[in-house]
Amino acid sequence: MAAPAPPQQRSDTAHLYDGKVVRSAAPSRKKAAGQMKTGSEVPDDAVPEVHIPGFIEALLGGPVVPKHKFLPADKMVQTLQLGAYAMLVALGLITWIVTPPQGTIWYLIFGSIGGATLLHSTIILSATGTGLWGTMSRDPRWLLASYTLFILSAMRFASSKLTLSGDWFDLATYPWLATVLVVVYAVLLVMYFELTNGVIRFSMLDTSIRTNEVYVMNVKRIISKYHRSLLINPVIAGGLAAAVLSINTIIPAIVRLFSSETAVRMEESVELISVYGVALGSLFVFLLVGLMFAVNFPHRLQKWRESRD
Amino acid sequence: MWSRKSALLGSLAVSMYLLGLTLRNSQLVTVAVVIFVFLTYAALFAGHADVAASGRRMDEWTGEEGVALSNVSAMRKLSAARVFEDGEVEITLRMQNHSALPKILEVRDRVPEVMRIKKGANYILMELGPRRETFIEYTVECPLRGFYSIGPVAIRIQDTFGLFHKEKELHVYDDFLVFPKMEDLKDTFVKSKVPKIFTGAVNIRQPGPGSEFYSLREYFDGDSFRSINWNAYARSGKLMVNERERDAVSDIILIVDGRAVSETGPVSRNALVYSTRASASLARFFLSRRDSVGLIVYGDEVVSVDRDTGKKQLYVILTKLAGAMARGNTPLQVVVNRILPHINKGSPIIVMSNLESDPTIVNALRDFRARDFDVTVLSPSSLEFEFDAKRLDRTGYEVMKTERDILMSELRGMGVNIMDWEPDMLLSTALAGARGF
Repeated sequence: MAAPAPPQQRSDTAHLYDGKVVRSAAPSRKKAAGQMKTGSEVPDDAVPEVHIPGFIEALLGGPVVPKHKFLPADKMVQTLQLGAYAMLVALGLITWIVTPPQGTIWYLIFGSIGGATLLHSTIILSATGTGLWGTMSRDPRWLLASYTLFILSAMRFASSKLTLSGDWFDLATYPWLATVLVVVYAVLLVMYFELTNGVIRFSMLDTSIRTNEVYVMNVKRIISKYHRSLLINPVIAGGLAAAVLSINTIIPAIVRLFSSETAVRMEESVELISVYGVALGSLFVFLLVGLMFAVNFPHRLQKWRESRD
Repeated sequence: MWSRKSALLGSLAVSMYLLGLTLRNSQLVTVAVVIFVFLTYAALFAGHADVAASGRRMDEWTGEEGVALSNVSAMRKLSAARVFEDGEVEITLRMQNHSALPKILEVRDRVPEVMRIKKGANYILMELGPRRETFIEYTVECPLRGFYSIGPVAIRIQDTFGLFHKEKELHVYDDFLVFPKMEDLKDTFVKSKVPKIFTGAVNIRQPGPGSEFYSLREYFDGDSFRSINWNAYARSGKLMVNERERDAVSDIILIVDGRAVSETGPVSRNALVYSTRASASLARFFLSRRDSVGLIVYGDEVVSVDRDTGKKQLYVILTKLAGAMARGNTPLQVVVNRILPHINKGSPIIVMSNLESDPTIVNALRDFRARDFDVTVLSPSSLEFEFDAKRLDRTGYEVMKTERDILMSELRGMGVNIMDWEPDMLLSTALAGARGF
């Protein structure tokens, strides 16, 4: 029986590269090239997308309304949303009370209190509705619309008189209560601006935290500081605003120390109880604030606080 | 600094105040007053005393950042000053508050754009207690070679309502180097025809031209008849040749094309990136074989590293490769003219270039071949990089590919070992292809 034939000797070195792919061309690329569309035009994705800011954006240095996409609201944001809802309902109600339709543009257009009241109520309702929707969906565009409508509802010629549209508690007989109501209205409006803005800010922060874009150390303390400010600031702002509005009683009280007759005359002065009295009050307050800044008091105070043991 | 929010609120307050006076509407004036108080309170008590209207600053206050930020300092520590591509650097940032007041700070440690944050964050919002310090730790991944700098540390302080803010940059910088990553090579198929004999040359346990017997192997086409072991042939019936142990080292010259055109393609996939990685791998391989390796990088100037051996030489080469920038348009002929008088005859020369926009390539390589240098060209194809990135349409690709193929055929005809190096091809495969395997 013949012995099995020895394996055939190979003269080339190709067997050294068995299992390895050695190519000198690019078949895969050619295949891909064959699948691409014909023509020599520039591919769409070769041209980068360039966003040219509009005039307003250029002026403000960015978009008017940020177009962020938020993750679902967490507890921190939900709490702020709840606060904003409560604030909004209270603001809607108090706006309706302190801003009667008399003196508004639509009162002049309609010429009747019925139509003006209807439109005025619609504006306040719309402001509340858009605010609720904006807060819920965390869409700044709706919130911006809500702010505008609230401000629009307060735009009225008032002849320096404080009139209420629904005086259920007979506040007109207690002028100081009416003053408090106006101050509460102003504080609620500003707090509404702040709270809804806070909803957007903290949503952005929460999204950044959860997408690992930012790390927040001790987030609870930062939130509690914000909550504390939400309580302290309105109290101070309200107190100062009440002082400004009560100028017709504060100034005569000071003057009474020197002349009681002049004080009585001042108390009855039309100018002092009008809006110009309020302007005078705010002038006094801000002169004081300006003086503090002029002598660098804030800086000195800060420096002292920074360096104390 | 005023934020957009405070600016808008301020303008709203002024408008409402004036409108309130015009319409004699005390509600509007009251709202304006409340907004003013809001802004003033934030400016007064939120660490932004520097919004003082006097325009004067306290004498001892030199910084523009204000009092609140003058007491904050930063220090940084890196886990390594040198890493390879895709390596990681752990960064520890130490923030200190020297004042007696707690501060809510936004801290952003600037990292180069190409770096990726792997762990932790370089952007932190924190409350730093009075006379306290904290450590911020994060890890960055370094995907691209180069010289990099971390810093400055940008810090921002703002009131709780985000009405006013103050920013400061702490100029704390830390530099580090990212070397090109290397591929493990088993063989490069590059051998010197004229080994450089040193007195007392050491055996390096690799087959090659030498005097000591190393092993027997099968005969391949091209092997010298003088090396056939006739006894072994008689025993086995197969032609066998003696392999000798290399006892000499050779000079290897690596030439990297660092012209502006070499960066054609995406940032992480272009000819320069591939060339630097290949050079690093080859340098390590040859240096481990005790060869002398020299490097030339040409772009806007010709940068060279003299031939030498050892680990220190590898470090020098890697540093030069890390700093290679795609600039200028120096032709290869200039490099050849400069180095020709200084390299030993027969030294292997490995050129890494995309062979684009240089009309002198053919002549330059012909000069090498005319002097019998063993020339290998690894050519990372910019066409492929561009085509992969969909920046090149089919017609353009085909036309340029044809031109490139013609150029390579011409070079191959001159005896240059050349390989069209595709993006997905391993360096060892490209080298084998270049050497005709």
